[in-house]
Amino acid sequence: MRLLNSRIIRFLVGIWLPILLIWWWWTWSADSVDPFFPPLSAIWEQFKFNWIWQYVPIHVFPSLRNLFAGYFIGIFAGVTLGALLGANPRVSRYFEPVIDFLRSIPPVATVPVFILFFGLDAQMRIAAVAVAACFPTLLSTMQGFRATDPTLLDTGKVFRLTPFQMMWKVRVPNASPIIWSGLQVSLQIAFVVTIASEILGSGFGIGAFTTISIDSFMILDAWTGVVLLGLLGFALNVIFDLVERWSLRWYIGQKKLAS
Amino acid sequence: MAIAIAVNGVSMEYKTPKGTTHVLDNVSYEVQDGHFVSIVGPSGVGKTTLLRLLTGLAQPTAGEILVRGKRISSSPDDLAVVLQDYTRSLMPWLSVEKNIALPLKNQKLTKAERKERITASLAEVGLEGAESKYPWQLSGGMQQRVSIARALAVRPSILVMDEPFASVDAQTRFDLEDLVLKVRDDFGITTLMVTHDIDEAVYLSDEIVVLQGKPAKVRDVVKVDIPFPRSQMETRNDARFADLRTHVYGMVRGLE
Ligand SMILES: Nc1ncnc2c1ncn2[C@@H]1O[C@H](COP(=O)(O)OP(=O)(O)O)[C@@H](O)[C@H]1O
Ligand SMILES: [Mg+2]
Repeated sequence: MRLLNSRIIRFLVGIWLPILLIWWWWTWSADSVDPFFPPLSAIWEQFKFNWIWQYVPIHVFPSLRNLFAGYFIGIFAGVTLGALLGANPRVSRYFEPVIDFLRSIPPVATVPVFILFFGLDAQMRIAAVAVAACFPTLLSTMQGFRATDPTLLDTGKVFRLTPFQMMWKVRVPNASPIIWSGLQVSLQIAFVVTIASEILGSGFGIGAFTTISIDSFMILDAWTGVVLLGLLGFALNVIFDLVERWSLRWYIGQKKLAS
Repeated sequence: MAIAIAVNGVSMEYKTPKGTTHVLDNVSYEVQDGHFVSIVGPSGVGKTTLLRLLTGLAQPTAGEILVRGKRISSSPDDLAVVLQDYTRSLMPWLSVEKNIALPLKNQKLTKAERKERITASLAEVGLEGAESKYPWQLSGGMQQRVSIARALAVRPSILVMDEPFASVDAQTRFDLEDLVLKVRDDFGITTLMVTHDIDEAVYLSDEIVVLQGKPAKVRDVVKVDIPFPRSQMETRNDARFADLRTHVYGMVRGLE
């Protein structure tokens, strides 16, 4: 009951500022005649017209497909490589300078390079997202693996766990609180790169829709694209938090008990 | 009687950047099938080192260890281990049931058999119904019971324990000591336990191996001729118990 109460309170505390901002935007823009800042009410009408559901199949679905395909490929590679490198510190020393160099390149700037390799297909966008999503997960996995408790590894050995079990039942879960923080950063970067990759040479996707709208002075449409991106990004984070909390319930429970 | 474990002329040196530490020197002894053997010695003498050699976690620099006549190079099938630090040897992300199930996954068991084993092991250690709990929701003593249940579930013929009761309170310790005696009776399991608690060694063992010195040698193997069943109240007040603990204590301290 107390848990429920505190959740409701946290929700109420969190919600008042967004409501205030939306209300402020709504009233402030109500009488706007500036073509670049249309009234929020008009944006909202156009939003309903565009995104429930007329343009969803041609613009939202491609974006989500590229995002998820790229994200999952990227984090799978990130966890695997991070695990291999983190478990072998002697090997990883040779790779660290390269990794540090590559991850320092702003991911959005790499999109043209991917165009060189893959052309303007969806593969290019997925590859760019995958590579960008890989690095934060790779680094956090390496960090999580370095801190593996030797007692845990000994336990695995004396019970003759297979290398697969050692990896997925012992080392990965042990590192998972740190890995999850990398996965979240990866998701945020993957979202940015997904949208940015659509700006070049694509007719489909939310990023393409927004860019094309601006280029053709469909300002209202462009605004609905921006609002949609905001809502989508927010929804992704909420879903991510839920999955993370479910997956780390053992860790959260343990910490709560200790405090 | 058959010999479960034979330690033949085992020496162990650790090579560190600062030089070589010679920990064990020509250690030999044999554990008879079904016996309860304790290894005692002062802190830092090399008890854990010896246990790591026995469980295949490390290789001796000289000599050999035979488990049921076979020289070991990795962890032998027939042997299960309970470590001192249960908080770090049970997986906090797995429920009690899944912790016990993990080593069973590699044995050829049906799902039902596996379930059966888990239930039976938990019943053996007095933790019926704790399947879905996480280890960290249990007290220290209960966690160590889970470790014992996990070891028993693989149906080993040899149980090896490193200071299993060092981090629990005195009452729990007595309960767990009686638990391992019961386990030994129920399964006829050969048990090898490392401890620094001499009373505990005398109370539980058929034989006590005393390690002493730097590098450590087997100072003596003491037969505990107190009949089973033993009980905390009576055995610990037995005159023979007092004699033996004084004798072993003297050797551990290097006074005898
Ligand atoms: N991995 C290691 N590397 C170097 N020295 C070690 C290592 N493990 C243990 N030692 C040394 O070996 C000696 C015996 O340690 P240990 O077997 O843990 O003793 P005990 O369990 O009897 O307290 C100690 O002096 C310790 O410092
Ligand atoms: Mg020790």
